[in-house]
Order: sequence, then C-alpha cells, then structure tokens
Amino acid sequence: MTTFLEALGMVAAPDVLLAILVSAIYGLVVGSMPGLSATMATALLVPVTFYLSPIAAVATIITASAMAIFSGDIPGALLRIPGTPASAAYVDEAYAMTRKGQPELALGIGLWFSALGGIAGTISLVVLAPTLAELAFSFSTFEYFWLAILGLMCATLVARSSPIKAIAAMLIGLLVSCIGMENPGGIPRFTFGSTDLLGGIEVVPALVGAFAVSEVMRALLLPEPPKMPHRRFGSIMAGQIRLTKQYWNQMTRGNIVGIIIGVLPGAGADMAAWVSYAMSKRFSRTPEKFGTGHPEGLVEAGASNNASLASGWVPSLLFGIPGDTITAIAIGVLYMKGLNPGPTLFTERASSMYALYIIFMLANIIMIPLGIMMIRATSHVLRAPRAAIMPIVLVCAAVGAFATGNNLFAVTVVAAFGVIGFVMEANGYPVAALVLGIVMGTMVEQSLVTSLIKSDGSLLPFFERPVSAILAVMTFAALLWPAGVWLHRRLGRRGRAQAA
Amino acid sequence: MVISDRITGAVIAALGAAAAYAGSRLPPVPGQQVGPSAFPTVIGLGLVVCGVLVALGIGRSFEDEAEADVAASEEAKGLEHVPPARLSWLRAAIPPGLLLFYVYAVDALGFVPTAAVMILALALAFRGSLRVALPMAVLGPILVHLLFYKLLRVPLPPGLVPMPW
Repeated sequence: MTTFLEALGMVAAPDVLLAILVSAIYGLVVGSMPGLSATMATALLVPVTFYLSPIAAVATIITASAMAIFSGDIPGALLRIPGTPASAAYVDEAYAMTRKGQPELALGIGLWFSALGGIAGTISLVVLAPTLAELAFSFSTFEYFWLAILGLMCATLVARSSPIKAIAAMLIGLLVSCIGMENPGGIPRFTFGSTDLLGGIEVVPALVGAFAVSEVMRALLLPEPPKMPHRRFGSIMAGQIRLTKQYWNQMTRGNIVGIIIGVLPGAGADMAAWVSYAMSKRFSRTPEKFGTGHPEGLVEAGASNNASLASGWVPSLLFGIPGDTITAIAIGVLYMKGLNPGPTLFTERASSMYALYIIFMLANIIMIPLGIMMIRATSHVLRAPRAAIMPIVLVCAAVGAFATGNNLFAVTVVAAFGVIGFVMEANGYPVAALVLGIVMGTMVEQSLVTSLIKSDGSLLPFFERPVSAILAVMTFAALLWPAGVWLHRRLGRRGRAQAA
Repeated sequence: MVISDRITGAVIAALGAAAAYAGSRLPPVPGQQVGPSAFPTVIGLGLVVCGVLVALGIGRSFEDEAEADVAASEEAKGLEHVPPARLSWLRAAIPPGLLLFYVYAVDALGFVPTAAVMILALALAFRGSLRVALPMAVLGPILVHLLFYKLLRVPLPPGLVPMPW
C-alpha cells in the first residue's frame, strides 16, 4: 500500500501531470492527421523525453500513443482515410456510418471503446506482468535468446507482405545493429574507418528516419487528401452505454484478442484491429450488415486496438522485447532513464511500475473529455494543409535527432534511414521489421554469444532446458508457418480444381 | 520507386555475402571460441538465403494478396490508380536532401536560417502557396528554436541570426 501511495505521489508531481496533458493533446492532433502515424508521433517525442524526469518521460510515451491510436479513427470515420494504420481495418465501416448521417455514433464508439479497451489492457498489464516476472527470474541467456528470436519471427509473420522479405528486412536491422564497437570483442566492426560509426547507429535517429522522414517522402508522391467539410456534431457519447450492454460479449472478445496480440512480441495495434474486425464478422449473427455502418465490428476492433497497446508493455518491461513498434521506442526510453527492462523492475522499482499503471489508467480516463474536444475541433485541425505540417515534421526530425547526442552525424543517419525506409516500403520490405531488428540486435547478439560461450560452442544446450526447448519449437513453427499456409492453399486449390 | 524483386534480392544476397565474409575475418577474442565474428556471419548467411529466395520470386503470392486488398480499397474510394510519371519519384529525394543541407549548413548559417530554408523548400515542394510557405518559414524555426533551445536546452548553433533568448 505504501508503494502504491508513493507511486501516486510520483504521478501527482506537477511536471508529470503537465507532461501527460501536453502529450495527450499532441497525440490527439498528430494521430488525427493522415500520414502521421502513432509510431511517428512517439518517435518524434523521444528526443523531448531526454530532458524529462523518468516518470514524466514514460508518461509522455504512454499518453501520446494511446491518444494517437484513438484519434486515428477520426479522419477514418469522416474522410475514409485512416489517421493511423491501426484504424485502417474498420475505416469503411465507420465511414459508412457517417454517410448514414451518424458520424457522432461512429466517433463515439471509437472514443468510448478505445478508452474501455485501454483500461482492460491496463488491467491485463497489472495482472500479467508480475505473474510472468516470477517465471522470468528463472530465465537464462538461452531463454532470452529464443524469446528475442521468437519476437522477431512474430514481427515478420504479421507483416502484410512476403514473409521472406520481412525476414530479410529484420536481418538487415540486425546487421545494422552490428555496426560499432559494442560487440563481444570490443573491436570496431563495419565502421569503414569512420569515427562517427564507432559508436554504432543510434536507435532514435534510425527510428525517426524510418518512420517520420520516409513518411514525408511518401507524402510528396501522393495527392493532397480531401478537405474536411465543416460539420456540427450532436452528442458524441449518446447511446454508448446502451451499445456497451448490447455488445458486451463482442467488446470483451475484442479486449481479450487485443491483449493477446499485444503480448505477442512484434504484433501491435494495427494487427489487433484487423484480427478483431475479421473475428467480429465471422462470429456475428448478422454478418451481412458489416460494411453498411453496423456498430458491432467497430465496437470489437476499437476495443481491441487500444487494449493491445497496454499489454504490449508486458514483454517490453519484463524482457526488453518490444510488443510492437511503439514499445520498441519505449524500451529505448526506459534504458535511457535507468528503468532497464527485466523482472527486477517489478521488485526493485515497484513504485515506478505502479506509477506506470496509474498513468495508463489516467491516460485512458482523460481520453474521453479530451477526445470529445478533439472531435469538435477536428474540422479546424484537419484544415491545415500538408504544405504547412510536413516541413515542420522534417525540421523536428532533424532537431530531435541532433538533440539525442548533440551530434550532426545523427541527422545524416535520419536522412539515410529515411531513404532506406522509403525504398524498402515501396518494394514490400516492412519497415517495422527492420526497426525491431535494430532495436533488438544487441540483445540478440549478447544472449547468443554468452550462451555459446557457456556451452563451449555447442548448440545442444539451446534445446535442452525445458522452457528454452518450448520457445525453440515455437520459433521454428513461426518460421515454417508461411510455408504451411502456402501449401494448404495450394492443396485447397488443387482439390477444388479436381472437384470441378 | 519500385524495383524488381530480382534486383532487390540480388542486392540483399550480395550484402549478406559481404557481411558474412567481412564478419568472418574479424579478429577473435583470445581464448574464446565465439567472438565478434559469429553474429554477423550468421546474419550474412541468412541474408544470402533470403536474397536468393526473393530473387526467385518465392513468397510473392503473399504480397500479391496484400496488394490486391489495397487496390480493392482504393478502387472503392474512387481513386483511380494513375501511373506516376517516370521520374516523379525523384521528388521523394527532397526531404533527405534537405536534411543533408542541414548537416552541412547549420554550423555556418545558424539554426534559424537553415530551418527556414528547409521549411520554405519543402512547403513549396508540397505545392503550398507562398502565402502559406513564407509565414511558416519565418515563424516555424523561431518556435522550434524556442522549444528546443530554451525549454529543452539543446545547443542549437546561433550562426548568422542569433535569437534574443
């Protein structure tokens, strides 16, 4: 109880509360702009968190990402353009509702069930993380190695692209993490004689380049999205309680699916929304109504993507393995602030963990009033032309990267990763896999090399310990899964051809 | 900028081969079997395999499916898929170009003028009118400077136009 009160005191500090409020507004605005994703919003925040206290820094990341995932629903419902990829799964449904003259209902569902989903996700974090921490204490480098690899494999599985290209992107990320002196031998590796490369490629500039600059580059090739018509909204929250009662089962299912997908390393909010929307349609008694402005799928998917956000912190806090791209960024912030991920976080820094839970709750509660204000202000915010927003994003990317080490080389890294991200995305190589590779590279190498030294170069101990054997089997299953899917489809097609 | 899978696959395989070769030649840690060479060698070999598979077009069916989804939703939006003009993707080089300009110019010119040039150039590249671009280029850098220099104490170079704070 004293720990809880201590945590409450930490959150109630004026700088933390201010950080929550400002990052909430920032997240709402950035998330609502098509082309500026929640991940990008978080990546651009990182340099700012350098200068905040640890709790305030984590609070900005949590709040901004939660707000951005909700507010991505706004342009989705009103313009049929998802503000963040996590809203893409159900834009058609939400827009159909707007066309039926019920934009308030569509936006209200997004807001209300996002907040409830976020709270459900937080509860899962509170329950799951300490339970799993017990288990994590018994993990050795062998388990950590498999867990990291399994996380990377999951990230390649969920990319909506060729699994081979996703694995290639992930390996390139791991290769990037090899650059520099931070390796088992402490020798310059792949530095090509450059002193700037001795320190390795910093994660933050690489992230900002891959997620923000490449997005600006892509926007230059796309036509300007249509202008938001001026609109007066009725009551946003009307009817939400009734919907909650009516679709209680769907909401719970959405929450659970979101939590599971969030906990899986590598899969995040966008995946949760796709899976939940599809699931809702499958199990619905009225699947024919889907796509015509039916609330059922919106409830389930909206509940799911925000739930995944909080549970994505479970593997991040326990093992330092990101649950999605947003927590990949958050892990960097945790290390920077001395809150190194690992099971000891829950024993030695218990009050910080409680503070984190409280921030999650708070963020999801203030989401409702702030979200209503944002919806009412949308038609003004979204009138800002891209010509005004994108240049500011670019300048912030440059200054933000510079701020990470007061080093201009970081800005060059941003430019380079902008180009790499752009070229990769255009050719079907998922950028998220690349970034996860960069973030996790050092950890994978360390656990691999330490394990090999312990085992005298033998591979057998990687499969001998029970938990490590299970993780190894899961990893190989993830690796072979796409081949299985392909084979299954192939056989199915042949079977149908023979029947015809 | 869409490049054929044969080329990207070949590039990845070559990168992997180079990494594996260079990695395997790294000096070992005395008295240890595994050192800094193990990890890059393994990754390099993985990249060679992936590169060859990509070049052979294996796994393409998964991508076709995702592309079909995207095409269907764009069709539904009534957006006609206009094939872009041949060299239009060169426009995408503007943002990284401006970042490099920042790297080389900021110490001499100072933050505010450099950022102003970046904002003006990119706003015009987005076909913004001068009525939007000019005030943005004047006010934007000052606001960013205020935020990062004053609030976050990032040492931005003053250059030609030092700010009063």
